[in-house]
Amino acid sequence: MATPTNPAIKIACDHVSKTFIQKGKQEVPVLEDVSVDVRENEFLVILGPGQCGKSTLLRIIAGLETPSEGTVTLNGKAVTGPGPDRGLVFQGYMLFPWKTVLGNVEMGPRLRGIGPEERRATAQKYIELVGLKGFENHYPHQLSGGMKQRVGIARVYANSPEVMLLDEPFGQLDAQTRIFMEQETSRIWQAERRTVLFVTNNIDEALYLGDRIVTMEGKLPGHVSKVYDVTLPRPREFTDMDFLNLRQEIIDASQLTL
Amino acid sequence: MSSSSIANETTCAFTDSRPWTIRRVLTNQYFLYTVSLCFFFFGWDYLASHQAQDATTSIARPYEVLLAIQDLWDNELADYKLLGHVWMSTQRVVIGFVIAAVLAVPIGLFMALNRYVNAIVKPLFDLLKPMPPISWVSIAILWFGIEETSKVFIIIIGTFVPCLLNAYNGVRLVEPELYDVIRVLGGNRRDEILHVCFPASFPSIFAGLQISLNSAWTCVLAAELVCSRSGLGYIIVQGMNLADPAMVMSGMAIIAVLACGTSLLVTALERVLCPWKRKIAGL
Repeated sequence: MATPTNPAIKIACDHVSKTFIQKGKQEVPVLEDVSVDVRENEFLVILGPGQCGKSTLLRIIAGLETPSEGTVTLNGKAVTGPGPDRGLVFQGYMLFPWKTVLGNVEMGPRLRGIGPEERRATAQKYIELVGLKGFENHYPHQLSGGMKQRVGIARVYANSPEVMLLDEPFGQLDAQTRIFMEQETSRIWQAERRTVLFVTNNIDEALYLGDRIVTMEGKLPGHVSKVYDVTLPRPREFTDMDFLNLRQEIIDASQLTL
Repeated sequence: MSSSSIANETTCAFTDSRPWTIRRVLTNQYFLYTVSLCFFFFGWDYLASHQAQDATTSIARPYEVLLAIQDLWDNELADYKLLGHVWMSTQRVVIGFVIAAVLAVPIGLFMALNRYVNAIVKPLFDLLKPMPPISWVSIAILWFGIEETSKVFIIIIGTFVPCLLNAYNGVRLVEPELYDVIRVLGGNRRDEILHVCFPASFPSIFAGLQISLNSAWTCVLAAELVCSRSGLGYIIVQGMNLADPAMVMSGMAIIAVLACGTSLLVTALERVLCPWKRKIAGL
């Protein structure tokens, strides 16, 4: 039972390790002994530089990869493969080019057999939530990067997953759009709270969005370095004193420029 | 001044509201199309009318070709007027093309999706693929005689290969992460095939259909040149036998028009079924 001192754990990664075998025999250890807990309705950020295995960790939680060692559980049950209970927002957008924005967002409910009127209403609601009202009949090639990523987020939201996983979703956007998308993400999450696991390499993004930040070390194999609680009130300011102090603390501890 | 980017030339055209100057007329692309075509016809006419008198007259003037077409329209050639011949050829092409497409596209998709089917069918296909369809003409006549079946058979042979190949490649070239997306949204393998494989391979399939259509017209011509009493190939052969270049060229011209027409039909079908494709200016 969840209590204020013992929040319900949504996802538990227990001593997860992953080794990839390349070219038949060469072993590449990507993750080593990673244990992360994600609590209900919290915004957890995994922060780390490139090539530290954080995307692999996310894919293991999503069920697209299997861990070499360790277990991942969702609500106590082991994760065996991908499914609609864990929605994944991809780094490269991955929209279906042959479907309109509405068609893309509708796809999740459609696969679950929900009727046309109901899924259209759901899709419409989430398209408006992400701020793309009026673009329902556009094709992906007519949208900008930020808009495509918003469609990706709406697509995952419309499927009502228990957990949302975001894999460096704003990595391909320019700085202005990126800050705008961070603000939008914060607004959307506060409007409809979900459990979110967000992977990024940008420390400002991590501090702006997260309730807790898990830092991972840079060298392969990746492992968890420290966990920080961020209790600043939302919406946060990038130039707030507490924000900057925490930022400095994280940078000092990680010995890398983030 | 740096040169204009190719991106500007391939994205959708804009409506130009600049005033019409002489320079703008001269550089307008429709004007240049017309100029190019005029040069072609005048050149043809010049070449045809200035041949040496003792050389066998092997080029007909454009006007003579038109007269030959009119002659075929009014008078019968081996029991058919021009429309009859056109109908015979078109009929063969359409039947052969449809049969081949209906067979080749599903087989190509199936091969790409199922390893075992691939292992069985691909080596046979790779063996028969390089053979030119025209090499099948003699054996087709031996097997099926000189009636319609042999001609449709040749067309099927010629149309089959590009269709299958493009369907196969269309599926293989799909971005693999899109399958991950379907899985993450709650789909199973059937959903992967229905919602990703098929739509993603449509553009490739249509490209294959266009190539096959071209091949189909070539094959019908080859089949009719060898053993036919009707059709446009027959017109060409008769023209050759009668040493009538106007007749030969009229047959060629009409085939060109028909092939262009059927190609436009397939393009129109593609516009309907693939509305997400970017429109390229001038294509």
